[in-house]
Amino acid sequence: MTNSLIIAQKELLDLRRNKFLIAVLSFVLIAVVISVVVSATQYGVKLDAYNMYVQSLKSAGNSTVPPSPQLYPLQLLRGSIEYMEILGALFAIVMGYGIVAKEKQRATIQLLFSRPIGRFAVPAGKLIAIAVAWFVAVTIIFLSVTLCVAFVGNASFNAIDYQRLVIAAFTTWLYLIMWSALALGLASWTTRLGTALIIALVIWLTVVLIIPQIGDTMDPDNQVPGGLFKSLSIAKPDELAVLAQFSGFDTARNGLEVSSVTKHFERFTFAFLGIKDKFNQQPLGIVWAGVWNNALSVWFAAFGAVGFALLITTRKKLLRRT
Amino acid sequence: MKRALAISRHELVSLRREKLPQVLLMVFILMVSVSGLIGWLTNTTVSSVWTEATQTGLTQAPNPFENVSPLYYSRNTVIYLVLIGALMAIVVGVTSTMRDRKARTIDLVLSRPISVVEYLLGKTIGVAIFLAAALVATGLISWVSISFIVGKPLGFQDTARLMGFFGIALIFLMAFVLLGMISGVYASRETTALLIPISLWSITAFVLPQIGTSANPVSLLNPVPKVSVPGGAFDALNTILGPLSVTEQFKGASGWLLSNPEATGDFTTSIFVVVIAASLGMLTLLLTRRDRIRGALND
Amino acid sequence: MSEYAIQASGLSKRYGINTALLDLNLEISSGEVFGLLGHNGAGKTTTVNLLTTLLEPTAGQVVINGINAAEYPNEVRRVIGYLPENVQFYDNLTTMENLRFFARLSGLTKPDIRIREVLEYLDFNDHDHERVGSFSKGMRQRVGIAQAILHAPSVLFLDEPTSGLDPEGVHQLRDVIVRLNQELSMSVFMNTHLLSEVTKTCTSIGILRKGELAYHDSLTATLEAFPREESLESIYLQIESAGIR
Repeated sequence: MTNSLIIAQKELLDLRRNKFLIAVLSFVLIAVVISVVVSATQYGVKLDAYNMYVQSLKSAGNSTVPPSPQLYPLQLLRGSIEYMEILGALFAIVMGYGIVAKEKQRATIQLLFSRPIGRFAVPAGKLIAIAVAWFVAVTIIFLSVTLCVAFVGNASFNAIDYQRLVIAAFTTWLYLIMWSALALGLASWTTRLGTALIIALVIWLTVVLIIPQIGDTMDPDNQVPGGLFKSLSIAKPDELAVLAQFSGFDTARNGLEVSSVTKHFERFTFAFLGIKDKFNQQPLGIVWAGVWNNALSVWFAAFGAVGFALLITTRKKLLRRT
Repeated sequence: MKRALAISRHELVSLRREKLPQVLLMVFILMVSVSGLIGWLTNTTVSSVWTEATQTGLTQAPNPFENVSPLYYSRNTVIYLVLIGALMAIVVGVTSTMRDRKARTIDLVLSRPISVVEYLLGKTIGVAIFLAAALVATGLISWVSISFIVGKPLGFQDTARLMGFFGIALIFLMAFVLLGMISGVYASRETTALLIPISLWSITAFVLPQIGTSANPVSLLNPVPKVSVPGGAFDALNTILGPLSVTEQFKGASGWLLSNPEATGDFTTSIFVVVIAASLGMLTLLLTRRDRIRGALND
Repeated sequence: MSEYAIQASGLSKRYGINTALLDLNLEISSGEVFGLLGHNGAGKTTTVNLLTTLLEPTAGQVVINGINAAEYPNEVRRVIGYLPENVQFYDNLTTMENLRFFARLSGLTKPDIRIREVLEYLDFNDHDHERVGSFSKGMRQRVGIAQAILHAPSVLFLDEPTSGLDPEGVHQLRDVIVRLNQELSMSVFMNTHLLSEVTKTCTSIGILRKGELAYHDSLTATLEAFPREESLESIYLQIESAGIR
């Protein structure tokens, strides 16, 4: 274990000084902050439009006051979560791949293995470093967006909101570790580093972009701007009744979506942050009952990727000539 | 020109042997092949939903997909070009200019009577031919699959529109190829060379449109455009930032060419932006200095 | 300490149908400076990698300081130091940080004092807090030797240590090797092309030819056996072409 910690310590020192990685993570931070600012501004635009509408009603002598648009602060984090889901995953791959690639390219791996270290010292050390690095990054990101929501969105949080944020942050951390561990394992496994990058990028494309995109575009309600059922003036209860006639199609569509761990991550975090209307303002227990299977999927995927990295990263594989 | 063509020929041979561009190309062609089927499945489902809603008296609105153009089935291809196509283009571009630096053969090339402009132009032509071949293949697949879905070959006008769409797609992809090539010339590490253009792509594809229309990232992957929120700062931002988002302009131009009733923006402006992006990329690349191309890698 | 620093018996390494090393039998006494010569691709680096446990042999046995490498690989790694050809480090880390890392992995719990001692010994103590990324080849080589001797190994393996060094660097390296051998009683196993340095540094030599040991004897005996040859280079070329054992 000591050697793992020594290796982890060295990796963290190296990562801290990696200007490019810092730039990339800063870029993710800026993107998520921008998304919160945009969402908060959008709410402000809606509110202004609403106030003007109420004013015009009053001027016309109409005393009816329509319900005002509600601000649920955590819903402003939708874009941020989507950025972590897409870009966070990509940069997690970069980190995981790079942490092995640089050793292989520079042959420092020979200096490592000419020392008396145990079988799991190298993969465990690198995974510990990745876990710590993402913990720091996710903490900074979530703190930043929370502050953003508070100031730009002029919103206040209660205790349960903080709990939701912690749950979402923890799941994001696991999700990013999963991608880094996968890339680390691939970089150790393949003889040529380029092959590892190819496989990692194709998996990212498929799991993060293509499968969710297909699932999304197969959703009938997404085929018309503003929603199909809204354009047909069909209310929600009737919408569900109609869709029940197409359960086969929806099952196939949903089946495709749940083959992507990204979709599980999205559904879980959206549920706890109240972005999904069905779970908005619901007690944590009820939310958990609705999405525990998504949580399990993310956890299994994360532990699976870590296990893969630990098992596949061996002395023989890393010292193999490229 | 002969020397430039020799470089082009070499570029084509090398690209055919590089695994990453080939794999991404396969994924792209596969997704385009599947996109027609997905479009047909969705169209059929929406029509069935409308029929069900009409028969149960829940709506009297017309079928939103009645009399839709057959080119509608290529909608998802637009998204796959923005996603897979652009990434593939970046990888091809970076690989192209990195190759000689990595192998340290750049000095063997530049110690011969060839100018930097000829060298880079040759590479660009080689890559353009590679991408054009890929797009011709995907265009043929699209034409065949749409004709199969509608039950008859596409007419002259629709075929011309489809060709126009793939033509503008080539220019769109070349803009990202050139971005990748510039990165491959200037970056000091291979990983940096790949990640800088990918970061710029994500800004263009997600961040800029979000600022301009408040659309969330995942919704930008849907070929159906988000309803933009009127008023406030968004209108002003959209005016300024809209033209900078090459991906959104490409989607707009594609929408017009594929007879998409929800197409947004001005067609001429969209085409103009895409062409300007590619032209600026070409100009920037050709202005590269000799000593820059010879720069050693830190890997 | 064992009588022999390095013993290889029947040592072979195959990659598929290609044989990189075939049936190497070699005994190097403690306190020797052994130079392994041979063409590019003769199997010198493979030999070093097998002896330092970086590679597993296809056949045969390695014993370092009386310790069987197959049975106790970590024990072998505790008593060896290794400098690969064209050694690289973690460029973002300083000399101290790089050496501290390797020292700890070698089992040194409070390495800073030892690191400073070693850097002083190597006359390289002005660059403790500079990042290795900015170092020249010669400077990296110093750091490379430092990491190899931090834990006071009894056997030092050097793979082409003079590769890419200027004449002054070669001269300085030779001095270091001789001092390590004479002052610290380190046995040294060195792959090299530089025959002039072999004459000044080594006490025994071996010549590897297409994966097989073509020659092994003390330097003195070698020079006596070829009285008509004017230099080690001509002796080497003669042995190489004749395949004398």
